[in-house]
Amino acid sequence: MTSVSTNGSVLVIEGLTRRFGGHEVVRSLDLRLEPGEKVALWGPNGSGKSTVLRCIAGTLLPSEGAVRVCGHEAGSLDARALVGASLSQERSFDMRLTGRANLLFFARLRFGSERIAALKVQEVEEELELEAIAAETVNRASSGMIQQVALARALLGDPALVLLDEPTRSLDADARERLWQALERRRRTSVVLATHLDEDVKRCGRRVDFPT
Amino acid sequence: MAAASTFPLKPPRLNRVLTLVRREYASRRTYRLAFLLDLMFGIANLLVYYFISRTLEVAADSNLGVSSYFAYVLVGIAITNVIGSASTGLAYRVREEQFTGTLEALMVQPVTLTELSAGLAGYPFLFSMGRAAVYILVGGSLLGIDFGRTDWFGFVTMLLVSALAFGSLGIILGGVMLVVKRGEALVGLFTYALGILGGAFFPISTLPDWLQPIARIVPTRFAFEGLRRAIFLGEDWANDAVILLLIGIISFPLANYFFARAVDHTRRAGTLTQY
Repeated sequence: MTSVSTNGSVLVIEGLTRRFGGHEVVRSLDLRLEPGEKVALWGPNGSGKSTVLRCIAGTLLPSEGAVRVCGHEAGSLDARALVGASLSQERSFDMRLTGRANLLFFARLRFGSERIAALKVQEVEEELELEAIAAETVNRASSGMIQQVALARALLGDPALVLLDEPTRSLDADARERLWQALERRRRTSVVLATHLDEDVKRCGRRVDFPT
Repeated sequence: MAAASTFPLKPPRLNRVLTLVRREYASRRTYRLAFLLDLMFGIANLLVYYFISRTLEVAADSNLGVSSYFAYVLVGIAITNVIGSASTGLAYRVREEQFTGTLEALMVQPVTLTELSAGLAGYPFLFSMGRAAVYILVGGSLLGIDFGRTDWFGFVTMLLVSALAFGSLGIILGGVMLVVKRGEALVGLFTYALGILGGAFFPISTLPDWLQPIARIVPTRFAFEGLRRAIFLGEDWANDAVILLLIGIISFPLANYFFARAVDHTRRAGTLTQY
């Protein structure tokens, strides 16, 4: 493991390269994110944005380079406790349960306590105005509704770093606004967002280009 | 990149394990008909063996205190379910999570792999314990099996040490499923062979001579014999329990290490979410 100095940064990526077989998807990416900073990974489909998010979340290992979250190796238990992620929203819930039951499940995994889990879910539901959506069984919910539940899951417990993969893709204008307001309210939360939409880039204020 | 520290082997936190078990129960509860059919199929299976036993009137194994072939096979079927669930539960649950797309969402949560494996395998294991209890209840109350000599403490102890020993095997098979994806046939064949060799359906003395030495050292043999002794003799189960306990103590950390390596392999290969 390469030694990386984090110096208070929430996210430090140094020389990240990720290959799948002989195909190099990400090459020598460097990125440093301070608390509260938001960055858009911008580029067309297949350019490696989601791969970077997965390397930060820890579900993929870098082929070369290093990724650290608040000084912890990406994917370690400590790093995972600091990261909220919404990676592949539409297939990441138990479809037979309601959005709320799913959120409670993930909140219990994160916090352990039943009481705190219920409180955190209630807070995020109110903030994102999700009460009606969360009451629906997931297999009856639309893509946009599921995407909002996925955002709620990523925000549970105000993590230091939020990873969002095309989070506005299926959202209507009101839901998009609620998403941005929720992210902007969290002034100490850093965000890495993969997108190919100009509006997302503008709201982030900082962009890393991913070529075709 | 050193991946060993990413999924450390830590003692599981019970509330995380129970959270995973509860979600599975909540999800399974929505399939009420499947739940009922599963139980009915098991009881129909018992009845087939009951009538075979009446037709053949075979006394299975007097060394184990078993009075009839049906008594022998009743315990075999009930316990095969429990052992099968302990040894394949995680593998099938990993497969389901891959299919439904929830595995990655679980892997980014702050839970250890031991919690994840125990939590994912927990519901099928508890369900199989309940099913075994129903079978034994049906066998005792409706089909004439005598549980008058049963040492229930021995029975529960044997189940627990069997769960530990075969749970370790289950964790290894869960890792295999994670890496090879469509490993159902391999997992099914392996556990079926363990049942046959261990004496689930007939005594190992009926196996070919060349196979008997292998059958004598198969862990399922200790589970089946110990459980039959606890149920039908009410004694002499402790040696089997100690052997299974030792197998469990030795194999549990090794199995968890293997599972962690399997997860790291999929993270390196980029196949964690593939099915």
